[in-house]
Amino acid sequence: MSYQSYLDGDPVIVTAALTGGVHGKETSPHLPETPAEIGAAAAAAEEAGAAVVHVHARRDNGERSFSTERFQEIDDEIRARTGDIIIQHSTGGTGAPADLRHQPLRTGPPPEMASLDMGPLNRYDHLTSENTRGMVDALHEEMTERGIKPELELFNDGHINEAHGLLDRRDLAEPVYATLIFGGGTLTRPTPPNLLNSVENLPDGALFNTLGFGPHQLPLTTMGILLGGHVRVGLEDNVYYDDGELATNEQLVERTVRIAEELGRPVATPEQARAILGL
Amino acid sequence: MVCPHLTYREAEKFDTERAYCTITGEFVQPMRADICNDRYDLAHDRHCEIYREQ
Repeated sequence: MSYQSYLDGDPVIVTAALTGGVHGKETSPHLPETPAEIGAAAAAAEEAGAAVVHVHARRDNGERSFSTERFQEIDDEIRARTGDIIIQHSTGGTGAPADLRHQPLRTGPPPEMASLDMGPLNRYDHLTSENTRGMVDALHEEMTERGIKPELELFNDGHINEAHGLLDRRDLAEPVYATLIFGGGTLTRPTPPNLLNSVENLPDGALFNTLGFGPHQLPLTTMGILLGGHVRVGLEDNVYYDDGELATNEQLVERTVRIAEELGRPVATPEQARAILGL
Repeated sequence: MVCPHLTYREAEKFDTERAYCTITGEFVQPMRADICNDRYDLAHDRHCEIYREQ
């Protein structure tokens, strides 16, 4: 995966991160929280060109849920409202004990993909999401058992080391798929040179997906398209379309699709995405 | 123990009551609400800077 992929016009996989688990409707009324709202947002994102939906679960009041049952409700809504979109569950969960972190892997059928946070990151001023190597290995083990493709979430360049370490410790199905994450705090500083550097340091043969928080979503995902990568957009990562103008998930996907096609990279259908990712 | 500064309030923009911090006078993020409620491995007296610094 490289600039040559751009020149060759390889399809780009667009992931829509619909809701997340940090902010909620207090931040944007467009952010879907209930299973029905998430299902409707997934349908709109698929219609706009997303091949993958990244899913977190919430209670009715928007607060986080990690239960298999809640993920099942959401998946049922998504499947009822979409054609063929790939479902990717989050296994992230700051402050959640290990047993809850495994719950999103246990729906029937399992999600085709699930996120795997590759190391610690700070939250607020007195909290760290630990993501120990032991937890990473345990989550990967269950993903392997259930036939779930891991999406390695690399919040900073130290986590790129962790990805190399995971590959030393365990057999990962090829191709390895990694999301490079840019923003404030513990994340990689959101600059173009840092995206270039992160891509350069990925394990050989790894496919990458670019995720930029807030105002960095548009420029860095565009750069990721030029570098031959895949992209993630959505209200989990950025609630604005422009300065002060709140976005919908659908609008963010539509803009990304428009840019990718203008740059000569067609957007992957879910079927094409499955072939690219080896699902 | 739930944070003494946590309440649940209705607002026109929400369908259900939402977590509200009486120190900041704002509705709180869902992830922060888990800290307010001392859910999972979280505790407001250890993890909330608003509580600790008030």
